[in-house]
Amino acid sequence: MINIRNVYKQLGDFSLKNINLSIDDNEYYVLVGPTGAGKTVILEIISGMYKPDSGNVWINGRNVTSEYPEERHIGFVYQDYMLFPNLDVRENITFALKLQKIPQKSMNEKLEEITAMLNIKDLLERHPATLSGGEQQRVALARALIAEPKVLLLDEPLSALDPQSKELFQQDLKSIHHKTKTTTIHITHDFNEAYILADRIGVMCSGELVQTGTPFEVFQRPTSQFVAEFLGMENIYSGEVVNGSKVQLIRIGSVSISGITNLKGKVRVAIRPEDIIISREKFSSSARNTLNSRIIKIVSQGPFVKLILDAGITLAVLVTKQALEEMDLKVGQSVWAIFKSTAVHIF
Amino acid sequence: MNSKVISNSIFRCIIYVIVFILFIFMLSALANIIWKGVGGLVQSIASQEIQFAIRLSLLTSVTSTLICLVFALPVAYGLERFKIPGRKLINVILNIPLALPPLVSGVALLLLFASTPFGAKLAEHGLRFVFSVNGIILAQFFIITPYMVRVLKSTFADIDPRLEFVARTLGCSQWQAFYKITLPIAKNGIIAGLVISWSRAIGEFGCALMIAGATRMVTETLPVALYLNMSIGNLEMAMASATCLIIISIISLFIFEILEGNHSRISRIN
Repeated sequence: MINIRNVYKQLGDFSLKNINLSIDDNEYYVLVGPTGAGKTVILEIISGMYKPDSGNVWINGRNVTSEYPEERHIGFVYQDYMLFPNLDVRENITFALKLQKIPQKSMNEKLEEITAMLNIKDLLERHPATLSGGEQQRVALARALIAEPKVLLLDEPLSALDPQSKELFQQDLKSIHHKTKTTTIHITHDFNEAYILADRIGVMCSGELVQTGTPFEVFQRPTSQFVAEFLGMENIYSGEVVNGSKVQLIRIGSVSISGITNLKGKVRVAIRPEDIIISREKFSSSARNTLNSRIIKIVSQGPFVKLILDAGITLAVLVTKQALEEMDLKVGQSVWAIFKSTAVHIF
Repeated sequence: MNSKVISNSIFRCIIYVIVFILFIFMLSALANIIWKGVGGLVQSIASQEIQFAIRLSLLTSVTSTLICLVFALPVAYGLERFKIPGRKLINVILNIPLALPPLVSGVALLLLFASTPFGAKLAEHGLRFVFSVNGIILAQFFIITPYMVRVLKSTFADIDPRLEFVARTLGCSQWQAFYKITLPIAKNGIIAGLVISWSRAIGEFGCALMIAGATRMVTETLPVALYLNMSIGNLEMAMASATCLIIISIISLFIFEILEGNHSRISRIN
């Protein structure tokens, strides 16, 4: 269990503001946020590279704030691997065990186990400089895991890999965590990565932790415009809640839509492009929102097509290519945009 | 278009000519000495005086270089990695001997060791620097340490501190991380530093002259032998000493170039 309490840290122009975070045993926690949000600084504070200006860090019930990195039993994997260039792969991986003066026999057993798990048995005699990015990352992970750390800290471990290695390594991270159950904090700026791997997610922005929750919670209910935009929500509006029954009307300019909220007064409204249905004819359904609109732009996005509609508000809608062709949608056409009240996120 | 071609050719021509002039100037100066020195070299090297000078030069330069390493290694590492208070000032002071004429450095050392209680105390305990071989070593140490610190600082600056940090998360103390990771990676830089410092030490004259003097067969290193023989008109012996120094310099420069690697890039643009 990791507890970060009221941590502040000033580094040049950047500051980490009042970070409070607790991560359970065996949890896979992913910190997401744009570059410069302070994610790496949090990892470096947990690992002891920096001392916080105030606040403290607890690992498994022990206050480690003033302990050296070597006393904290932490595994650290950097985006750019940081393998020791003066040692070969075997020496890199067994580095921690040699320091602990572990007998040769059990060292070999552990080496065998970890290299099998990460599929790097054939690389043992090679030097780091001769390995590909994906291979180096596996070696770096093996080097961290072999010491059986209490906490594994991964600093953008997938960012420098090509798409194929990234996909493979992502699956490996998941299955390794399943096996070892090591409490893990993983940093990324890629929300999809977070969604696939995380038990819980923390979203960071300009040195602050702005939202935490399960991937589903964060994805479904972003609590701020920043989080909504960061998660790729496109239809974000300012509006006002106008009446007070269970399902409320929110007025956005000249348009009124219904959604579910306990908030009153001025609010932000977000609707995912994929949650909106397009129909040529108006039909009655359980969906509470049906907006008459006109197609003003059609943008191809791989297997999907994004329609930009004018419905009094500008609305982005995601449909498949197939749907576009079958419905014979063209710019300038009139269509109905239909979505449920529960697809309207209000914050 | 045509005028551009001509102006490019002229520009290139001028650069080539200047490079060539400087090269010829340096080469002829060096070749001339070696040409004159090689004739009597075998005979001069056989002489007791030159043999003494070679031995003394090797002894003093190797000693001063090793002592220099003992100081420069922690100093360079400390200035590069730790937030030592006043490290900017320390850096400036440590670099001053680089810009100082060696004679001035020599006077400074002479005053410190000859006319202060500190020097007197050391002399009392048998550590005499003035007009002695110790003085040569001290002078060489004073002159070469800033060079060594500079080379080692840039070597350490090129090594990512996160490597040491990762080593520490794996259980190393600060010393172990330095010893097991940084030091082996810095190996080439350290050897380069040793070679360049040693070759400066062996050629050191002005500073050593002030504190150790130029006494035949006592404080007579190769540069001193060159100076003494030149002043009494024994050209053959002088040239022989000079040739020894040139050969040592060329070899060490060569080693240095190999270790530092050739970073220069030749333009591929036409």
